[in-house]
Amino acid sequence: MSDAFTKDEEDRVLAAEYVLRLLDTDEERAFEARLAEDRALETEVAHWVYHLAPLSDDVAPVAPPAALKDQLFADLFGAQEPVSQAPTSLFARLGLWQGMAAAATAIAAALAVQLVTSPAPQTPASGPFFVSEIASADEGLRILALYDGATGGLRLTGTNGTAAEGRDFELWAIIGEDAPVSLGVLSDDGTGNIALPDALGGAVGGMVLAISDEPEGGSPTGAPTGAVLATGEVTDL
Amino acid sequence: MNVSEIDQLISRVALGDRTAFSKLYDATSAKLFGVALRVLNNTASAEDVVQETYMKIWRYADRYASTGNSPMTWLITIARNTAIDRLRATKQAADISDLADQIAAPTPTPEQSAVAGSEAARIVACLNELPDDRHAAVRGAYLEGASYSDLAEKFDVPLNTMRTWLRRALIALRECMSR
Repeated sequence: MSDAFTKDEEDRVLAAEYVLRLLDTDEERAFEARLAEDRALETEVAHWVYHLAPLSDDVAPVAPPAALKDQLFADLFGAQEPVSQAPTSLFARLGLWQGMAAAATAIAAALAVQLVTSPAPQTPASGPFFVSEIASADEGLRILALYDGATGGLRLTGTNGTAAEGRDFELWAIIGEDAPVSLGVLSDDGTGNIALPDALGGAVGGMVLAISDEPEGGSPTGAPTGAVLATGEVTDL
Repeated sequence: MNVSEIDQLISRVALGDRTAFSKLYDATSAKLFGVALRVLNNTASAEDVVQETYMKIWRYADRYASTGNSPMTWLITIARNTAIDRLRATKQAADISDLADQIAAPTPTPEQSAVAGSEAARIVACLNELPDDRHAAVRGAYLEGASYSDLAEKFDVPLNTMRTWLRRALIALRECMSR
């Protein structure tokens, strides 16, 4: 079908067909395989996404039924009141999203198409996600923990408080009535990336995370020896 | 709500901010429902698509990188593609002639542009340079998720003719837009 088209033109048309969804499933797969390795093609896709977007101005907004929002929030967050969750105030107070935004380097437009056309191959398996705010009663120490079930990684970001001179923060996981399990020592400002032991992976939801004050290098006994400074329950995101 | 406010809401949603997500939903769901309805022409399916779209937005908001373009474009792209996936999944049963009727009757509305005015003007001007039927075919593909075979049926031409036509129209459109 590349009658009289140069290779560049052919790629431009293909990108347009991809964005318009005129390609069949096999062609979409093949195009996405190229897209993953071709920045020029990715740029071309972005170009089409943004230039065609004004066509949607023709679409009149129609308010969906109110029940749809309730259903969405119940499905995503469980039955609780959706907007009164702890993470709200927590995240709203944080300045850390800039770092996260910087990590999103790919062209948003191309991703927006890809994440719906081929969620399985294009999207690394992610989630479930969990979050915890580990805070002292007076909030003098506050650390945010994010857990990604796909990687088993727990990312901690201290937002308030530092370890005392010559002391370390140690992070503990507490499941039910079991003894605390050490997850490791954090940096003085409460930041760290910790791989959660496989044994704990399945029990993240409902787990309690705690920070104790320990000698440098962490507890010598394998159990908390100093004061428990802050705790936080892990909740499904 | 202006573009930078929506941009900011998406950034906060990326951090798991449910209040921001609720505000984002309130500000944008009518447009996305409209987009889904236009593709699917079925209320129940469009509701499902809106639900699925916002689940994706919640999940993938951290992949949204502000590019200075309208964040509405990102949201609409997700909604539109989710709707087209849904359309494809149910296509066998769909009545193609209904779809053709919709293509024939685009319904411009006085709603505010979701995208920057100059860009909107440019695509409209460039589409207007195309022959009417090709212009309508591009709109049909974009707004209704029409496939080449839907379009061939609508315009009563062989599939390959439709394909050749539209591909040439897209090249012309691309050239016009980069002028």
